Amino acid sequence: MRQDEGFFVFDFQISIVSPMRKSTQLFTATSILAAFTFASVSLLASPIAAAQQMPPVVIGTAVGLSGANSVVAPSVVQATQLAIDEINAAGGILGRKVVLEVADDGSGAAGAQKAYDSLLFQKKVDAVISMETSAARNAALPIVTRAKKPFIYTSFYEGRSCNKHLFINAWVPEQQVASVVDYFSTKLNTKSYFLIGSDYAFGRGMLEFTRKYIASKGHKVVGEEYLPIDGSDWTAIISKLKASGADALISSTSGGAPNVTLTKQLRAAGVSLPFGNLAVDEGTAKSMGSDAKGVYTAGSYYTSIGTPRNKKFLSAMSKRFGPDMKTPNDLSTPQYEAVWAYKLAVEKAGTLETDKVLKALGEVSVNGPRGEIKMDQQHHAALTMYIGQVQADGSVKILETFQNVAPGAQCPQLK
Amino acid sequence: MNISTQPVVANPAVTRRRLALPVGLAAAGIVLLFIAPDVLPTYLVNTLIRAFLYAAVAITVDILWGYTGILTFGQSAFFGFGAYAAALTFTHVGFGPGTALMAFGIAIAGAMLVALVVGWFAFHPGASALYGSVITLVLPIVVSQLLYSGGSFTGSSSGLAGFESFDLSLEAWFRITAGFLLVITAGAWVFVRSDAGRILEAIRDNEQRCAYLGINVSRVKILLMVACGAVASCAGFLFACVQMVVAPEYAGFAFGTELLMWVALGGRGTLLGPVIGTVLLDSSTSYLSGSLPFLWKLLSGVAFVIVIVAMPQGLLPALLNAVRRWCRLGTRGSASRAKEVALRVAEPRPLAGLASVGRFALSVEDVHKRFGSLQVLRGIDFKVRPNELLSLIGPNGAGKTTLMKCIADGAERTSGTIRLNDHDILRSPPATCVALGAGRKFQNANVFESLTVAQAMRVSRTRLEPPSLLRRASVLALPDAALEVLRATGLERQLDVASRDLSHGMKQALELAMVLALEPNVLLLDEPTAGLTKAERTQIGAILLDLTRNYALCVLLVEHDLDFVHEISSRIIVLHQGQIVLDGSVEEVVNSELVREVYAGAGAPGEHA
Amino acid sequence: MTLVLDILTTAAILYGVSAGLLIVFGVMKIINFAHGAFLTVGGYAALLVTNLGWNPWWSLPVAFAIGGFLGALVERLVMKPLYQRPLDAILATWGLAIVMGQCITLVFDRGVQFVQSPLSGAFDFAGASYSSYRLLMIPLSLAVVGVLGWMMNGSRLGLVTRAVIMNEDLARGLGINTSLVRLATFSLGAGLAGLAGSLITPLSSVDPNMGVPWLVNAFMIVMVSGVSLVSLGIACLVLGGAQVLVSTWANPILGGLTIVVLAALILRVRPEGFARG
Repeated sequence: MRQDEGFFVFDFQISIVSPMRKSTQLFTATSILAAFTFASVSLLASPIAAAQQMPPVVIGTAVGLSGANSVVAPSVVQATQLAIDEINAAGGILGRKVVLEVADDGSGAAGAQKAYDSLLFQKKVDAVISMETSAARNAALPIVTRAKKPFIYTSFYEGRSCNKHLFINAWVPEQQVASVVDYFSTKLNTKSYFLIGSDYAFGRGMLEFTRKYIASKGHKVVGEEYLPIDGSDWTAIISKLKASGADALISSTSGGAPNVTLTKQLRAAGVSLPFGNLAVDEGTAKSMGSDAKGVYTAGSYYTSIGTPRNKKFLSAMSKRFGPDMKTPNDLSTPQYEAVWAYKLAVEKAGTLETDKVLKALGEVSVNGPRGEIKMDQQHHAALTMYIGQVQADGSVKILETFQNVAPGAQCPQLK
Repeated sequence: MNISTQPVVANPAVTRRRLALPVGLAAAGIVLLFIAPDVLPTYLVNTLIRAFLYAAVAITVDILWGYTGILTFGQSAFFGFGAYAAALTFTHVGFGPGTALMAFGIAIAGAMLVALVVGWFAFHPGASALYGSVITLVLPIVVSQLLYSGGSFTGSSSGLAGFESFDLSLEAWFRITAGFLLVITAGAWVFVRSDAGRILEAIRDNEQRCAYLGINVSRVKILLMVACGAVASCAGFLFACVQMVVAPEYAGFAFGTELLMWVALGGRGTLLGPVIGTVLLDSSTSYLSGSLPFLWKLLSGVAFVIVIVAMPQGLLPALLNAVRRWCRLGTRGSASRAKEVALRVAEPRPLAGLASVGRFALSVEDVHKRFGSLQVLRGIDFKVRPNELLSLIGPNGAGKTTLMKCIADGAERTSGTIRLNDHDILRSPPATCVALGAGRKFQNANVFESLTVAQAMRVSRTRLEPPSLLRRASVLALPDAALEVLRATGLERQLDVASRDLSHGMKQALELAMVLALEPNVLLLDEPTAGLTKAERTQIGAILLDLTRNYALCVLLVEHDLDFVHEISSRIIVLHQGQIVLDGSVEEVVNSELVREVYAGAGAPGEHA
Repeated sequence: MTLVLDILTTAAILYGVSAGLLIVFGVMKIINFAHGAFLTVGGYAALLVTNLGWNPWWSLPVAFAIGGFLGALVERLVMKPLYQRPLDAILATWGLAIVMGQCITLVFDRGVQFVQSPLSGAFDFAGASYSSYRLLMIPLSLAVVGVLGWMMNGSRLGLVTRAVIMNEDLARGLGINTSLVRLATFSLGAGLAGLAGSLITPLSSVDPNMGVPWLVNAFMIVMVSGVSLVSLGIACLVLGGAQVLVSTWANPILGGLTIVVLAALILRVRPEGFARG
């Protein structure tokens, strides 16, 4: 396109005669800068907690309020809040009130950097208890290490994340994948599998484990496809699935939105293969409506667990949040238990000092909705696992239960 | 010809006073930056480290956009490139002094290579500004998507984290990044204030004029892109070393547009504005996005829209102007930026290797020009010797300007051969035709609006005397012919006036002087007297006569003022409907019946209009 | 067969998304970077319909109406000073997109949400079962082409608009109210974007940033298409088809790059793109 042809003549003049008169310009500039200043000052002037007898214990939670995890984030925040309310009602931690600081990690690495910087250095939290994507967790670890605070990670993940400050009370593939693949091959007679995942540490890690396990059972993997965490167009992948002739589909996307879009598009395309979703929680399943019916899922928590402790937990949630309650699920309940674990650990250690608390975290046992949980297996925990199938109303019917499944050797160097 | 211009030498005392303030501020700034990390809270130190690196990238955006007029969305891609060069090397190869050096080398060299390719695409001759921007928009998308598709090698959506890096304290990093920002700012500052920096503004104001001054605009833009890409990549490299986390978002489109926003709000084309704007805005975002996430971003968006629509100079400059006025420091227009410049005579540079005496200065052979099915020029054939003043006349639409275009730009004509000083111009772009001896003056005064007269003349000399990248010369050497025009029209007393503030006649004169500064020996003038008063016309006529007689210039003149033509030409060519109908001496043409017919009613030569 | 359907439905969706941008670009010669935001508005309009419990088919007209209304507002308030400054128009409309996104977030919260699909299930077509909703996109896009084409060639407004496209100053000189034409055009473009937004959400999700990837693809397609609706269709088929092929045979992420890279290459070689002459 030549410079002087048609409408592509660009006569760029910085000295554009501004439509505004100088005085108006000045007024506008001043008001904009004033608005900025006001916003800044209002932050600084926000009431600094009056010096109490003792400063509160601040727990920081980074969670994906925006992005893929935003579908489950509200349930996570609720579970955390409930635990903190209960602890405060019982006298707090070491007699001090507990306060919650929530930060949005955008369900990803860049957002997590900002969130953790803010939590650890601006808000100066005493501990971080987070449910987040592996991308966020990996970005957070260097910051947590620099800040030297305890970090309890409460989301199921691909395993082998090891750090002196990091404790995990959720499941790893060694505890979950086998049950699904075994169920499919024995009860549903499937021999070939198609794998779909989100393209990041979790998706790749889970499916790598799955692939190896399937191979070890003598079956075939006929396809393995990935989309980025925020990808929502599964069309090409679904077409490949159909063309592959697989007997069953196993997916491991990021928790939240990708599950929904994948399931919706699968159903719209008429796919009715046995579908094992390794990464869907009950809350997300409920929000999918009829699309989720028939999906197989495995995890450490479902609302239909019949123990008295779980019933107590559910009624406490319902009482606290009423009609706003989001379905407690495998991503939110561990958060509740983790807060309690932190309280118990601090009280056992008798101090908030990080090293002592870290030692205690590996020793305390929490009696929560998922049973007795102790993070004593190389910073991971043995868990009771379930395999279930989503019903028409979105609830999960438990098909099989596996007591006390060990996480395997996740972090041998961390005894 | 005696030129006696009194050199006006810059007053050293004034210069010292003028420099005192910025140097003092800079010194204070440096001291502050070095004690700051020990005094400020950790969160702020952390935030500022990032903000300093972003500010360095913002400087590159300002140079490309604010100064040169290239709207670029792509500097984030170079930032991400540098960051991932570090992260990938440290993750997959390991960390050590050797690998760190290697990673740095990859970051810089790789970024420069990418910038070269992108620049070649975006700024190829004939590309529009819009296309250039489109390419810079495509770049971050391609880079971030490639990162997403890299599986476990690039970490895809997770990015890369936990790799080992330099074991330095936060305070040390603060000083390093602050130092980096200072160095880049200082370098950019020196560059944009130098003579070479004027070329950037010239390109922004009037790219076409630059091309016709022999400046290879594409090459300048590509070089700029390469330099800016390297700087952004360096910032990204440091970022990865400090943060020890990289994610595809840092190379993406959203970050690229955020940079533009900071530059626009801080004040494009001011260099310091974007630096301050970026540091302030990014730090504020870090503090406020937790408490007022939506409101803050909303405010920024609204401010951005207002600035682009109604206050293109940006927020900070608008406020500074007001402050200045209130403090009665006096308005400092662009004129004050120009140092006093002395003029002197330049050594003439005969066109090296080109035959310019005896043979033909200009030779047009069977040239045709077609726009689609419209035949504008048919079989144009003529030769001009040096020292001839040839006037091209004919009614509107005869094809005169088109013929001018074809002589000055090898790509214009459809067929035929044109030789300048016996060299076939083939399909050469305007800049090459300038090198072959052509100098074209346009019909409307085609100058650089925001440059002063002295600066415009300095830019015009670029091809023959490459300007300094560091300094502003206080003496400008110009050829006799150009000096003559400046003196005769009084422009030499208006060296510090911005071109946009000149009267129309002065602009015409300035453009003529600029073209003469090229030392062309084929001068193509398109209606040089358009819009001039009678007095100005006489003056120009005298100058042109003088040029042909004393400077061995071949002048090709398109004119409508037949009196003027009659007075000064030695030869006239009459064009009608794309063909030469008459080619002869002034007497032949003036007395020709054919010409009278062709100009029926337009006023035959000798009558007053 | 599935591949062919994938290509056709993808092209149809791209057409729906890009048509609004093309109209604005053709008549007003500026690029509306807020197009993605209007798309998002349409998506949230569909969400509103779902939340109100109405029949999901209502989301189409509601989205169109809301998009059109917002477009008119934006044109009157913001666009006027930008008509002579195309590069600045890109930036200003991008800023506007940020503002609109934040307003949406303030009202609807920033999380990802989902919308009910008006049509669910699969349709058996030539031996393969394919998503009915996706198949619906084809006739819907053709309908949009048809209506726009009829408007441009068969109605007075269309005639007047074509005059403005060719030579605005002359049109104004002949007494045509170019200001009204601009208002109508921008509103139509925004309305179409809203409609497209409501059409694409049932297949995926809504979140405040959903418009951005679509914006970039639509923008590149429009650059390649010139000003004609027909060449837009050709561009969508060619580029959309390339995207599907790359996604299927290589990798969906590289597929996402195809449109953008191909368009840049086409423009380098042939600056008019697919337009005639």
